Amino acid sequence: MKQRITYVVKDPDSFTPEQLGVQKHDVQGSFSVTGVEAAKELRITLGLDELPSELSAAFQTWHELHVRWVSPEPYVSTPPFTSRVSPGLHVLFTPRKSTPEHALCDQLHRFVDSGLKCTSINETSIKLPVISERFSMSASAQYYTFRPSIRDIALRLSDQICGGYDDACEILITELASASYIDIDYDTITRAVVINAGWPSGRGGGAWTETVYRYRNKGTVEIGVLTHEPNPDPEDIQFGGFLTVLGQDSSPKPTRFQTPARHYPLLSPSSSSPTPQPHPLTYTTSFQHPTGLHPTLLLTFPSRHLTPPNPSCKLHTHLTLPSYLFIDKYQFTDPLFLSSKNIKSLRSLSGATDLEAPDWVIKEWGSAALFELANTQTQSPSAQLNVSIPLHLRYLPASNTSHTRVPVPWPVVFWACRADEGAKMAANPFDRVHLGYEALFGLKTRFMHVEPKTSGGELVEWIDVPVLDLNKTGWVEWGTLGTVVLAFAGLCWVLFGRGWKRVESGKKTQ
Amino acid sequence: MAFTSFFRSPQQVFTASVLLRVTFLLYGLWQDANSPMKYTDIDYYVFTSAARFISRGQSPYARDTYRYTPLLAWLIYPTVWPGQFWFSFGKVLFAVGDVAAGWMMYRILKEHRNMGDERALKFASIWLLNPMVATISTRGSSEGLLGVFVTALLWAVLAKRIAVAGFLLGFAVHFKIYPFIYAASIVWWLDDGRVGNKRNSTAKELTSVFNQILAFLNHQRIALAIYSLITFAALNIVMYVMYGYPFLEHSYFYHLIRIDHRHNFSPYNTLLYLNSSPHATSSSFELERLAFVPQLLLSAVFIPLALAKKDLPGTMLAQTFAFVTFNKVCTSQYFLWYMMFLPYYLPGSTLLQSPTIGISALVLWILGQFAWLQQGFQLEFNGHSTFVPGLWVSSILFFLVNVGILGIIIQDTKSKTHSKAVNSKKSS
Repeated sequence: MKQRITYVVKDPDSFTPEQLGVQKHDVQGSFSVTGVEAAKELRITLGLDELPSELSAAFQTWHELHVRWVSPEPYVSTPPFTSRVSPGLHVLFTPRKSTPEHALCDQLHRFVDSGLKCTSINETSIKLPVISERFSMSASAQYYTFRPSIRDIALRLSDQICGGYDDACEILITELASASYIDIDYDTITRAVVINAGWPSGRGGGAWTETVYRYRNKGTVEIGVLTHEPNPDPEDIQFGGFLTVLGQDSSPKPTRFQTPARHYPLLSPSSSSPTPQPHPLTYTTSFQHPTGLHPTLLLTFPSRHLTPPNPSCKLHTHLTLPSYLFIDKYQFTDPLFLSSKNIKSLRSLSGATDLEAPDWVIKEWGSAALFELANTQTQSPSAQLNVSIPLHLRYLPASNTSHTRVPVPWPVVFWACRADEGAKMAANPFDRVHLGYEALFGLKTRFMHVEPKTSGGELVEWIDVPVLDLNKTGWVEWGTLGTVVLAFAGLCWVLFGRGWKRVESGKKTQ
Repeated sequence: MAFTSFFRSPQQVFTASVLLRVTFLLYGLWQDANSPMKYTDIDYYVFTSAARFISRGQSPYARDTYRYTPLLAWLIYPTVWPGQFWFSFGKVLFAVGDVAAGWMMYRILKEHRNMGDERALKFASIWLLNPMVATISTRGSSEGLLGVFVTALLWAVLAKRIAVAGFLLGFAVHFKIYPFIYAASIVWWLDDGRVGNKRNSTAKELTSVFNQILAFLNHQRIALAIYSLITFAALNIVMYVMYGYPFLEHSYFYHLIRIDHRHNFSPYNTLLYLNSSPHATSSSFELERLAFVPQLLLSAVFIPLALAKKDLPGTMLAQTFAFVTFNKVCTSQYFLWYMMFLPYYLPGSTLLQSPTIGISALVLWILGQFAWLQQGFQLEFNGHSTFVPGLWVSSILFFLVNVGILGIIIQDTKSKTHSKAVNSKKSS
């Protein structure tokens, strides 16, 4: 087991090396931070043999497996941890040739939730569209479900993995469950499981005061405390700070490095400050009300900040739509319609796109869409750019209430820009891939993510979908059939009977 | 009066009907070019993109929701040629079909209803100058094209052009399935008296079932069956060879197995949503699966048997009306299916003879739709759960209004005198 812990200090001015403490006893060691305002990332690398056999077998079912879970709680990201995925649980994977069709659903039901809608790999997952064939690192299929919290999963896994006697293990899993996002990666080439968890700040939004110990005498624990520094190269990001290997180092060792970044921070162009400042561009997601059966998703931007960070940059949004929502791709062909919605084009749509089926016959988890957006700028300080994306709801099952509430995770918004050093990005120690949308772009692409801005809520919208209320349907079956039978009988009587005819013909002869 | 002289001139009426469609077409082009809300029907985009798939050597079924015969996409093939003019080719074709159907209505009214020019033009104008009909075809809905096939079928039968009738019947069923109900009324109508065959039958011979069957199977009926079956089979075989299983799946099976859970005018709609939706307690008998029984008994058996020999156009109206009213799915373009028979039925009908009944029927028909549409709007755009009672009750009420009108149509058609049959009795 290998651990790498990175603290990225938010405000370098308020940080001093005195806030760090290192202790070394033989090969054991501990590291403490006191009152450090920082974003934290914990990366754990495990060999398959370090896992309980059940989990190890589960991973080995796959050629590659990438789990991404993101909390709907909003957070401010700190470079280099700027990449974003819609809140919820994403599973991107490539099955092996021998992977049974039920493997995905079995594992989802076993480890996540036994109630998840899942039938088989082929039916439930959606193929990830690959525009760039050269992007060979891309997984082939995707599954998604909205999950606001992973605490329940962590509790269950903690019992299975730690076996009830390993305190350190339980503490670690509890810690992981408090993260804002978690990535789990496995592939058959490295045969290693990498868990990557992120916290945008310390507990309760505050500073970090904690001590890290090296567990079990085995495996390295490496700790970095870094600050983001300016760098003249437009594609590189630079960090300076301290690195410590527990049990090896008796004091933090200074470090400074620069690296190309796939997810390059969106920085303020006019900043005179010595440290890079975030760009003021943000977006807000909402729905036009009333939502009805055709909800319109609104993305709102302050339009004076919509200048592309680089001329090659195009503004995009990537939507993750659970099966009850769908996009009608044929709507997005007319230039007048597109420009009235401030959309340039629907770049990609994959998954459940049936235009008629109700939700209960859809086997796929949903669909994913990539739009290129218009970035019409105005200089007026209060002007806003509204992008509206028309969506459609499927019929949901009849229920004991008049409406069913469904979550819609916020989409992610980013500038996609040309990069000259595509291949070197993977060397970045904080590189993050398999987010579901990189394969839609060429290898030489940088993503500059726009920060979501909520007005206090979560990064998820809720829609009330009107459904048939079962409390009111008592009369429907017999009422309908009775009416039809009576109407049928009445018409037969008119056709073959004599009553009406006599009256009518009687009238006519008069 | 200018208005009365207008209906005396076929040129004027047909020019007006063409102008009406040209105006709508041009207006549509303008609206499409200037507004994100399109005049063109969504289905038209489906047809034209299916035609584009064909032009690239692909199957028209590569387009989602293309549920028609590939012939339709072939018919509007020029829409794939560049330019707005060629894109509108299909609409022009549908509108020409409309006017051609109106011309045939006019001829039928004159020749088979013994009407004068003016009266025939007035009743044909129910179709020709009907803004709803002109809108539907110029927006690019193919329902109008069906009008020309079905009216031609009626004309061919009345003119005793059995081969042509058989071909048109086979073609129309291939095109839209539902015209198969007309086979029953046409076959029943084509009795010996009608076609003028002399038969020296005696009462004794007719008592034998075998002889009755022989008597039923006259030359005309057999010819109609053969021509229509050959046309239907040939078209299907050609389409199947060209486009394989997706052709059968989308143009036929889909229409048989579809569950119409989305709200529409049909009285079965709420029940279909209720019973197709998964929910814990299912005590249903699923009797809605038998919905085709009253629909087909009425439209394909009872109405033809009871009425066809009295009046064929009136019977076809009643059949279509019954088919649409009792169907498991019903949208407003289905109303066009029966509207094409109104010019033959309305003259002398109770609906025109008795203004009280006629106006009440029209008002109730409109009110029924309005009530439903209002509830549908509340659901679709305001998100109110109006399924029950709103949509359900208004669809049941609209159904009852339609059943009432159908009752009047049946009654009117039934009380018509069997003129030709009387004549033939005299001659035999």
